[in-house]
Amino acid sequence: MKSNYLNQYLVNLIFILLACASIFPFVLLIMASFTDQKVIINSGYSLFPEDFSLDAYKYLLKSFSSIMHAYGLTVIITVVGTVLGLAISTMLAYPLSRNDMPLRKVLSFLVLFTLLFNGGLVPTYLMYTEYFHIKNTIWALILPGLLTNGFYILLVRSFFSTSIPAAIIESAYIDGAAEFKIFYRIVLPLSMPILATIGLMLGISYWNDWFNGLIYVTNSDLFSIQNLLNRMINDIQFIQSNSSFVSAQQAESIPSESVRMAIAVIGIIPILVAYPFFQKFFVKGLTLGAVKG
Amino acid sequence: MQKKWKSVSGLLSVVLASMLMLSACSEGEKKQQAGDGEQADTSKPYEIVMTLLVPSTPPDLQLVADEINKITKAKINATIKFIPFSYSAYNQQMSLMLAGNEKVDLMLSGTFFNFGSQVAKGQLEPLNELLTKDGKGIVDAVGQDLINAAKVDGKIYGIPTMRDFAADNGLVMRKDLVEKYNIDLSKIKTWEDLGPIFKVIKDNEPGMTPLVQAGNTAMPASFMYGAGVDTFGDNLGVIVDPSNSTQIVNLFETKEFAESVALVHKWYKAGYINTDIATSQELGSSLVKSGKAFSYILNLKPGHDIQESQLTGKEMVEVSLTKPLQTSNNITNILWAISKNSKNPEKAMQFMNLMYTDKDIANLLSLGIEGKHYVKKTDNLIALPEGVEQSSYPSNQIFMGNNFLTYVWEGNAPDYWEQMKTFNDSAIKSKAVGFNFDVMPVKTEMAAVTNVINQYKNGLESGTLDPALIDEFNTKLKSAGLDKIIAEKQNQFDAWLNSGKK
Repeated sequence: MKSNYLNQYLVNLIFILLACASIFPFVLLIMASFTDQKVIINSGYSLFPEDFSLDAYKYLLKSFSSIMHAYGLTVIITVVGTVLGLAISTMLAYPLSRNDMPLRKVLSFLVLFTLLFNGGLVPTYLMYTEYFHIKNTIWALILPGLLTNGFYILLVRSFFSTSIPAAIIESAYIDGAAEFKIFYRIVLPLSMPILATIGLMLGISYWNDWFNGLIYVTNSDLFSIQNLLNRMINDIQFIQSNSSFVSAQQAESIPSESVRMAIAVIGIIPILVAYPFFQKFFVKGLTLGAVKG
Repeated sequence: MQKKWKSVSGLLSVVLASMLMLSACSEGEKKQQAGDGEQADTSKPYEIVMTLLVPSTPPDLQLVADEINKITKAKINATIKFIPFSYSAYNQQMSLMLAGNEKVDLMLSGTFFNFGSQVAKGQLEPLNELLTKDGKGIVDAVGQDLINAAKVDGKIYGIPTMRDFAADNGLVMRKDLVEKYNIDLSKIKTWEDLGPIFKVIKDNEPGMTPLVQAGNTAMPASFMYGAGVDTFGDNLGVIVDPSNSTQIVNLFETKEFAESVALVHKWYKAGYINTDIATSQELGSSLVKSGKAFSYILNLKPGHDIQESQLTGKEMVEVSLTKPLQTSNNITNILWAISKNSKNPEKAMQFMNLMYTDKDIANLLSLGIEGKHYVKKTDNLIALPEGVEQSSYPSNQIFMGNNFLTYVWEGNAPDYWEQMKTFNDSAIKSKAVGFNFDVMPVKTEMAAVTNVINQYKNGLESGTLDPALIDEFNTKLKSAGLDKIIAEKQNQFDAWLNSGKK
């Protein structure tokens, strides 16, 4: 009895520590965004700021419109991208999961192949800009992320094959349902867990994506919030390591530490808020296929 | 057999369909290009696509572009389209654009921006004939010497922007404290003379660090030996006394390096330098701004003290401790080039000519529209318009063409650019000006040596590490292949010298 308690106690302690270690950077981030710039330079970061100040957020209010614009854009890209991505992924995975589809093995192999091999950055770039002409359009932020992960397809496919009994589909056939109707009416409603999982993963990867914005977009109207933050931070590093290149006016306009923290906070808040709602499905999706029956 | 054919035919049809789709796309593009070719006659203004490096896209970029286009349409029958880039993304985006044949005519290049590899890949247009035909103004404004500095194998690939081409080094410090303790700046002639000043500050101003770093790659010692050494920008094999000598040696074995490091270490031990100097990410100017530091060592130029005062928000005063030195990469750092993708390099060259000779265009590019982004206070001095805190056309003059033609911001001396010119002319010129080191033969050694340097250089130059470690540093450098790099560099350099510095 006693050793049981001790074990329990130890395990709880370990997980409490781990949880604190995960939360700590976030709390520090939020606190730093509320600290006065001078205090950060003089005494570093701290959980209890000596000088509570809203300067960082006031500064951001000045370029409120561009940040809100970036915000709005990121939301649009995430929503459109996730919906499109889910639709495409499920529609690709469903036929692959059906035993009676011709060319099933070949297409599955092709999907697996793209997971392992990639054309590389320059061919991908050439593809999207020379052939699809999406540079500096909103599609540049949505298309390249749509089908670039074969892993999701395989995940959905295995969910379909294990969790949707062939009997249901056969019975729907007998009742005269067409293929698409079966997909739409029977398979999709039964796949809520996997849809939520993939949807969440797609959504997060769209929300966090700054790379596509970096290489495909020069028009600042199309900067997503992560792209904006990334550029800001890299520009600051560039200026800091090449201080002789920068005129005084520009150096003054570099956002201070606390402002950068504030921007990061703005970048994370929606995800932090949305996550608890999806957590239920996420956990369910993770244990997919782990227990049969 | 039937079944097999079915699957094979299915696969083939998929492949066929995708091929058709792709060819349709590319053919459509070709047709479009042919159509443009037929229409492009001299009556339609050619659109020159030009890269612009800015910290953030200026809201008024299009307004300025329109003003510039008024002038260019009249003079050379061309219009300008700007593509703004942020500093950090420029290299990546540019290399992709050049690989993809995207339309770009005038581009910013330089050793800072992948100039070497662009030349090697043939992505830049040689400018020799273009200069004689349409660019005579550039040759006059820049000077054949400077243009020659950017030659590779006899071909000119880029034109330097007009700015400070040399650097002298010294100490930047807070004026109010200098006056408070009656520090006599005229008595300071050498680096050692700075020690007593630091002592005064340390003893009388608790909480304030006398000397900090200028930036996390700009440690005090590097400026001390820097003024007498041409580092070729990479510190791998340098020339000591570059106006007289042509021998390339290992920087870290030189007397100058050892002396500088020893001095800085002495200051570090005496407590004049902040203990986290080797790892701090802060700029020296921000530390002074927050009241934590007194001074930092940096490379100077005319008007630098005013610039630093603006950065720190406190009045700064400088004392220069070295003579200005012009090294090979001062000039080739920032160049304007014409890309091979340009469909009309002559027009691009004509615009470049305007950039370097036309006062209106130079001012529009660097400063914006008169009345909107700046107002003239006197003939030469300008200031921000009433009530405007930040110009809605922020740009970095260093990246523009001929700054010597532009107006001077109020607060600087009115003859700022003349001072700059004198400063440039008075600099000691390294014999290596114009030489570009091709690193391909020693790429692997370079990576290994850079690794070793990263371990020791900052620590030694900031005074944190004990100078006794220099020997260990050099042993590691040798085993990483530094001697091979130096030998290769000397070979290339000698060959370049013998070929008449072509």
